Amino acid sequence: MEAYLAAMLVFAGIYALMALGLNVIWGLTGMVNLGLVGFFAVGAYASALLTKYWLWPMPLGWAAAGLAAALAGAVMAVIVARLRGDYLAIVTLGFAEVVRLVAANEVWLTNGTDGISGIPGPWRGAVSPQEFNLIFLGLVWTAVLVAFVLLARLSHAPFGRVLRAVREDEEVAAVAGKPVLWFKVRAFCLGAAVLGVAGALYAHYNAYIAPEGFAPLLTIYIVLALTAGGVGAMRGAVLGALLLLLLLEGTRFVAQEIPGVTPVQKAALREAIIAVSLILLLRFRPQGLIPERTRTRATP
Amino acid sequence: MTRFRITRRAALLGATGAVTTFAIGGRAFGQAAPVVFGALPPLSGAGGPYGPAMLRAIQGVVEEANAAGGIRGRPIRVVAEDDQTNPDAGVRGARKLIDVDRVTALMGTWASAVTTAVAPLCWENRIPLFTVSGADSITLLPHQGFIFRTQPNSRLQIATGADFLIRQGARRIFHLAAQSPFAQSSQEVLTEKFRAVQGGAVAGYIVYERDKTAFRSEVDQVLRARVDTVFLNGYLPDVTILLRELFRAGFEGRRFTPAYAVNQTTFQTLPNEVTNGVMTWQPSPDVNSGAFRRLQTRFGNVEVDPYSAQTHDHATLAILAAAQAGDASGVAIRDHVRRIASGSGEVVDNVTDGLRLINAGRAVNFDGASGPLDFDERGDIQGTKFRYERAENGRFVLMEIT
Amino acid sequence: MEDWRDLAQVLVNGLMTGSILMLPAIGFSCIFAVLRYPNFAVAGFATVGAFAGWVANVQWGMPVGLALLAAFLVAGAVGLAAEEAALKPLRPAGPLTVAIASVALTLLLENAVRFVFANDLRGYDLPVLRDWRFEGIRINPQQAMNVGYAALAAGALFALLAFTRLGRAMRAVADNPQLADIKGVDPDRIARVAVFLGAGLAGFGGMLVGLDTSIDPLTGFRVILSVFAAAVVGGLGSIPGAALGALVVGVGEELASVLLSPAYRTVTAFLAILLVLTVRPEGLLGRRG
Repeated sequence: MEAYLAAMLVFAGIYALMALGLNVIWGLTGMVNLGLVGFFAVGAYASALLTKYWLWPMPLGWAAAGLAAALAGAVMAVIVARLRGDYLAIVTLGFAEVVRLVAANEVWLTNGTDGISGIPGPWRGAVSPQEFNLIFLGLVWTAVLVAFVLLARLSHAPFGRVLRAVREDEEVAAVAGKPVLWFKVRAFCLGAAVLGVAGALYAHYNAYIAPEGFAPLLTIYIVLALTAGGVGAMRGAVLGALLLLLLLEGTRFVAQEIPGVTPVQKAALREAIIAVSLILLLRFRPQGLIPERTRTRATP
Repeated sequence: MTRFRITRRAALLGATGAVTTFAIGGRAFGQAAPVVFGALPPLSGAGGPYGPAMLRAIQGVVEEANAAGGIRGRPIRVVAEDDQTNPDAGVRGARKLIDVDRVTALMGTWASAVTTAVAPLCWENRIPLFTVSGADSITLLPHQGFIFRTQPNSRLQIATGADFLIRQGARRIFHLAAQSPFAQSSQEVLTEKFRAVQGGAVAGYIVYERDKTAFRSEVDQVLRARVDTVFLNGYLPDVTILLRELFRAGFEGRRFTPAYAVNQTTFQTLPNEVTNGVMTWQPSPDVNSGAFRRLQTRFGNVEVDPYSAQTHDHATLAILAAAQAGDASGVAIRDHVRRIASGSGEVVDNVTDGLRLINAGRAVNFDGASGPLDFDERGDIQGTKFRYERAENGRFVLMEIT
Repeated sequence: MEDWRDLAQVLVNGLMTGSILMLPAIGFSCIFAVLRYPNFAVAGFATVGAFAGWVANVQWGMPVGLALLAAFLVAGAVGLAAEEAALKPLRPAGPLTVAIASVALTLLLENAVRFVFANDLRGYDLPVLRDWRFEGIRINPQQAMNVGYAALAAGALFALLAFTRLGRAMRAVADNPQLADIKGVDPDRIARVAVFLGAGLAGFGGMLVGLDTSIDPLTGFRVILSVFAAAVVGGLGSIPGAALGALVVGVGEELASVLLSPAYRTVTAFLAILLVLTVRPEGLLGRRG
């Protein structure tokens, strides 16, 4: 049981990092990003390839993951900066699918649908599996803490205030002399970098990545987690990720107890419970569990 | 209307299966602690059409074993988690099975990505993993003997399939492959095999996106290549679409596909005139093996898909190995699988007979519903036979077993 | 691509593919035009429609034309019920919140279908017909029928919008909700009609997908990315745009599978979006702002 809890908290930490990254792009800057699993995948592949085939030390691999994802984010931001939110949602969704398909087809680079196995992990093999779990637990939550502190400070710094201004009204921000595109690109890069590092940690924890792991379902889960926690508030992102994991895993034990249904029906009920809980949460806490404090969002 | 009756029966069968998992255990076993096995089939996502039947086969074996007295007096319990055909969900499910339910064997993983993601957890926690995944890379992992794969590796499977086609007179073949870990290696084997015969050639090779809903342009390319045979290397949803499209286009050549891509469901979704003549192949036990027949009977006299045959064998192997070892730990099961699966012991084809003989102290050699189950040192099956069948009026007719 | 026939064949194939994407794309745009949020649950509505049509066709023995009507009605009713129960209360929180909830809604619908029908693939009770050939170009009667059904449904919607009071009211709300309100149009009623029509068309389209394939709980999910692409290329909220966008995406995907690689169909759809949006950020027939 302890091993299970530790492992799930590692997953929660990775989801929390993803939610934090998304929060910079979406929460602060107001750019909807439904392609977050794409940046996550770019980071995971970058670090996996560099540490496994080029034998880079792991911390360098993680840094490279952040960098690669940031680069992808910059390109994406320049392309989509002019688009309205709803267009942006669909274009970024398409971007993630492109990343997944390229990973599946460009075998020379990514090993295709076979995926990359045997990705090194810190002291993996030298310590017991449970010790490895605990080491990684510390590592992931340290990363969450660092990202949280940095992003929370940033969001209250002038940079964050400009981003919010851009989110609330782009034209006003532009008239006020802020280079809107430059701010958007930087925010996109920063968020994508956090997503990329999350991807790298995921790759090194599971020791294996494959295109199928980067399906839209993960994006959906993280977006729902952030919405549930509270878009814009960094604490909301972390809380949302924990809540998501509680839902994903808790429903297992609930579904197990439902009598008289087939296994498929149990699986269906489990996913349905997750969906309904999130809808209910949005219904009764539309601003999320932790609403953003700095300023209430204007309702259009 | 007949279609509905069949599906309703299948649904009823599923329902009884579900109820009985809760009923088994308990009765007749006194205080003995149950042996717990984990099942991790895809119940949603791309593997959804396969997972439920795979799980039903496992539950059927466990029921039968419990009725036969369990593993040396201990009842057996199966805990199932849905892997959602997604490595991320699969790993979380496996963690729960291993750490919370303390299962001593995992079985029934389907997608190669899920199996590869889950495998390290299994060998680190020293429990065996029985899988149906086809990617050749899986048994090459450093798994210390903990992986048993009942699906022949793709090179072996394609090589024997190609030999069969050449025997049937195929010379120009078109390879239509779903994006999967074995598309490329299949193509290499096919090219090699067809180049070796007079006038033989792989006249076309296309890898398509599996979850698309139309493949018209792909079929146009097949027609344009003027081939005598098309090899549909995909899965149920996409091969169903391709078969319909090939029929509409008037393709008259041979259609050859793995048995998991055309099964009972295909006969319910497509008219017979479309499926007639489709040839399939799958790993198989001997013609006179009882295991395959028994499984068919248990499934209600419908065709058994190869994956269910394999998970039936997963459960039987784990149970008999634990009984043989007198110990249901993961390491004991790993160490005894080969002893009950091959060798000179008495050949049995079901769990009841196997348990009876083992309890009587006799050596057994289990031949399953998916083949004789002789594993090599990497955990791949070897020396399996293949069963070739042709669809005729909504049934499969045996062509040959080699 | 050796001669004009090959090109013509690809165009015909693209027309078939596009006509199947057309109705869900129109449905998506229809809801967007009036309610101003992208309703991602169209994937779920398409699946629900496909299964409703299956029950009508296979279990109750209704002919395909009637079953399509059933698909439209059931999907529309489910869409309306879901909108009223789950999404409408969220409108004050902003369009994005509603959009996110619609993502959860599509998960819910997929699993509701899975709960009732399990994962087995199902086919309609329909003969499979051989292709017609014109100058070596093959056209399937069933697929031609499907194009006809799609055109009929789209045409009916256009007629409704162009010639009825209700249609004019809908266009008024889509153009300017405040102004329409002043003119005495009840925006709530119009919203309900738009959701019913949009979800219904998605369901109709879902069954068309099913006629050409086989259906399971993932039916809607498989086409949804192309559907979104179609709606965006055409311009969100523009109904003729969605129809045009569907054809562009359909032809693009078939062209890609010949010129590039069939494994990159979806990539083409995405490139089509980017290309169009680079030139016209509001889509082919969309309005600025």
